Order: sequence, then structure tokens, then C-alpha cells
Amino acid sequence: MADGRKLVGMCSKERRILADSEHITAQSIIKPVYLTLSQLTYPQEGDPAVGARVVELDPTVFNHPIRRDIIHLCVVQYRDSLRQGSANTKTRSEVRGSGRKIRPQKGSGKARLGDGQSPMLRGGGIAFGPKPRDFSTKLPKKVIEMGIRVALSAKLKERRLGVVESLDWPGMKTQHLARRITSLGWHKTLFVTGHPEIPAGLLRSGSNIPNVDFMTVDELNVYDIVYWPRIVLDAAAVDLLGARLSKLTPGVPAGLTPL
Amino acid sequence: MSGRIRTGSARVTLANLTPARNSQHSQKRVGRGQGSGYGGTAGRGANGQNSRTGSKVGPGFTGGQTPLSKRFPKRGFTNQNDKTWAPVNLDRLQHWINQGRLNSSPSKPITARELLLSGCIHDVHDGIKLLGDGAEHLTTPVHITPARASQSAIKAIEGLGGTVYCKYYNNLSLRDCVKGRTDRRAAAPTRREDILWYTSWRNRGYLAKESILRMPVVEERWRQLSEELPKWKEQGFDVKKKK
Repeated sequence: MADGRKLVGMCSKERRILADSEHITAQSIIKPVYLTLSQLTYPQEGDPAVGARVVELDPTVFNHPIRRDIIHLCVVQYRDSLRQGSANTKTRSEVRGSGRKIRPQKGSGKARLGDGQSPMLRGGGIAFGPKPRDFSTKLPKKVIEMGIRVALSAKLKERRLGVVESLDWPGMKTQHLARRITSLGWHKTLFVTGHPEIPAGLLRSGSNIPNVDFMTVDELNVYDIVYWPRIVLDAAAVDLLGARLSKLTPGVPAGLTPL
Repeated sequence: MSGRIRTGSARVTLANLTPARNSQHSQKRVGRGQGSGYGGTAGRGANGQNSRTGSKVGPGFTGGQTPLSKRFPKRGFTNQNDKTWAPVNLDRLQHWINQGRLNSSPSKPITARELLLSGCIHDVHDGIKLLGDGAEHLTTPVHITPARASQSAIKAIEGLGGTVYCKYYNNLSLRDCVKGRTDRRAAAPTRREDILWYTSWRNRGYLAKESILRMPVVEERWRQLSEELPKWKEQGFDVKKKK
């Protein structure tokens, strides 16, 4: 740890003694990801040209290896949590009626029977029927965090992830926003903001547009990212996701940390 | 866009997710006929205690003979006051500082939280104990607040112009420290041994009078504690003089 020697891997043919003057530094094998910045509002005079600006994305969050099994785990866990679990039936003890023996034990020429609530009889209780229960399952937090990384990376790889500077929308007429969304081709899109509240103008204009939804990063989960064909993040959301999910260790070059 | 576009794999949708291979098993259905392999005795073997409903012998049961756990006398004891410290040596600390994974200032010293988050330790156990191994490799002035520090570590750090102040943590306050919570008041030492240890300047205890004077950030409560806690040493019962 303390001595200054550095270890390098080389072919045996090329093995040589390293002079002190030769300086070796660790090179990152993880390259940052760049994405062209989009714009929700109409471009104004003085704005930079469309496609002129890019945003740098954290490679550990937006360029994660695609693990479909992790997404599967997250989606199944989320959908388990949605189950109401309120299916209910009555057992023989809960069905109304008396416990009187309905016919003599012997001599009737028919089967032996006890009370009228037997599961065998019409109107009797249900044997092994459903009872209200909690279907929710648990998943380690780190798996869920990895699921969000995978889902975002898949969206980026499919070129279905957009980033805008801000999701502020100046108007409040639905048709104006609907027209703009059509012109951008952003149907079936989930807009995600990193701010604590969804911008008021956007929410007001957009809540009645079909196949468009708005969310904050806190509400975002793997199911939503996979469900919506297109995701548009604002810059604050990119920062927040990077801060929460990044696997880069401060001070250590990116290539030295496992994903 | 990303610049790396691979084609060939279908896009990830809710319709084409699959669990990892061999990660799922179908349920074992017992007592459902010969074809299942678990018909007849339902995997419970032939007659006997263990084939009955609800029957199970406890772990360590050896058929009625004296079990191993009862055959030998009890030995030893558990020390209720025992602490497991997470050791941090000076060379390791310096290595982390060199990599830029740790830094400190007099007003923002290194605590258990920074050490854990930077990966310098993997578990805080009952607190950090700073030890003096590799003191010759220490080159930067370090400001650190462990739970304990060895004399050699204190000497090495203060020799370079750094500071060490040992702070008392109980389980809750250590957890708050690690989680970065400040809404709860940290516990003060209550055991006599701890009071003596943390009011001693030799140990650089945070309740020592010299520490209170020198520390850049001092809570009002620490000042009060450092005055109140050592008072018992001068106190005594009034003894009536015999006439």
C-alpha cells in the first residue's frame, strides 16, 4: 500500500523494467454518455439551435448492462404490491345456520351428514377458499436501485429517452400543449421532473391529454419506466437520479469500480 | 444520442421480461398420485414419529440420549459491556486521503460516517478506534473524531498539526452519526469508566476541559457536561465530628 510501485499487466514478450520517469495513470474504461438536449417550449430567437447542446449523463446510471431479469424482479414486486388481496369466502363455521344434525345417522338409506354448512352441500361453506391477505413481496433496495439504472439505460439505448432543460410550460390551454407534443412526436410519453412539484402550467395543460403523464423522480419506479414507451427527464431529474443512483466512487477513476 | 446503438435485441417492454435462468422452481405437490413421485407417503418415508402430522423433534435431539449441549458444563461468560471497535490504522487513513476519498478540516473532521461511506471500513461495529500502525506513512494533517484513539496515533497526528478528539457514542448516536441525522441529541457517557475516559485530556476525550477550549465546534451541552461530570470527584458526605 505504502510503497510507490505500480502494477501493470503486460505481455511476457513486452515485459520490461519501468523507469521512474515513466508515469502510469489509471485510464477510465467507462466513458461518459452524451445526449442531445431537447426543448419542450417553442424555440425563441436567441435560443441555441436545436441539437446544439448536449447533456452529460452518468454512465453508471444511464449505460448500465441490460439485465432483463432484474427488471422482471422489480416489475413483479411492484405488481404484487398493487394486488388488493380482498377476495373472501365463508368457511363452514362462518355460514349462517344451525349445527343441528340434518338427518339420522342410520336408516335413511342415504349418506351420513352432519350440519347443513358442510362444504359438500349446496349452500355450504367453501373449503380452502380465498381469504383476505397481503400479496406484497419484498425486494432488496439495492436491486430496486439497479432496476432503475437498467430501465433508464434500456430507454437510452432504444433512443426513447429525452432530456430537456426545464419542463416549465408557460400556457394553460390543453390544445396548445397537445399541438406542441404532436409536433415533437412525444405521444405516449412520461414526463419526469426532479423538482418536488410538477410545473403547474404543464400539469394544468397536460392532465387531460391522453397517453401523456407527469411524475416527480420520487414517484418514479421501474414499472413506469418500462411501461411508458418514451421518457422525458428535466435537468433536475438527471442530476437527482445521478446523485441517488451513481456507482462512481469520488476520487476513484470510473473504470476501477465494478458496475 | 448515446453513440452506441446495438440492434438485434427486442426493446425492453412489460411483455418480454423473463426471470433469470434456473432462478424459478415449480412448487412440490405432495400426495397427488404416483406419477408425481410424491404420491403414497408424500415424501415422509414409512411409519414412525416423523411421518405423523405436526410431529417434529427439536434440533440437537439425539434419540433420547443426553444431547451434546447438556453433556458438558457451561464455560465462560458474555461481557455485557464489551465493545467491538472498528480499527483504522494511520497508513490506511493516509492511503484513502491520497486517493481523494477522504478529506478533513478542523470544522469538518472525519467521523465514522465518512470512513464507512468511503469504504475505509466495512462496518462501524461499536465505533472507530484509531490506531498508530504505519505512522511513518502519515504525511498530511488529519482532523478526526473517532470513538477511541491510541496514544501513538494521537502523537503521530498531532505531530503533523492535525487534531484527534474522541467522542462517546452509544448504539443510537453511532447510528445517527452514520446516517447523518442531527435531529436527535447524542447520548452522553453514563458509566463511570466512560466518564473517566472521555473527560481525560490524555485520551483526547471530547469532554476534557482542554478539549472544550480547543475544539473548533463545541456544543453547549458538552461544555455543561465537562463541568458537571467530574464534580463527583470533589464531592463527599458531610461527616459529623465526634465531640
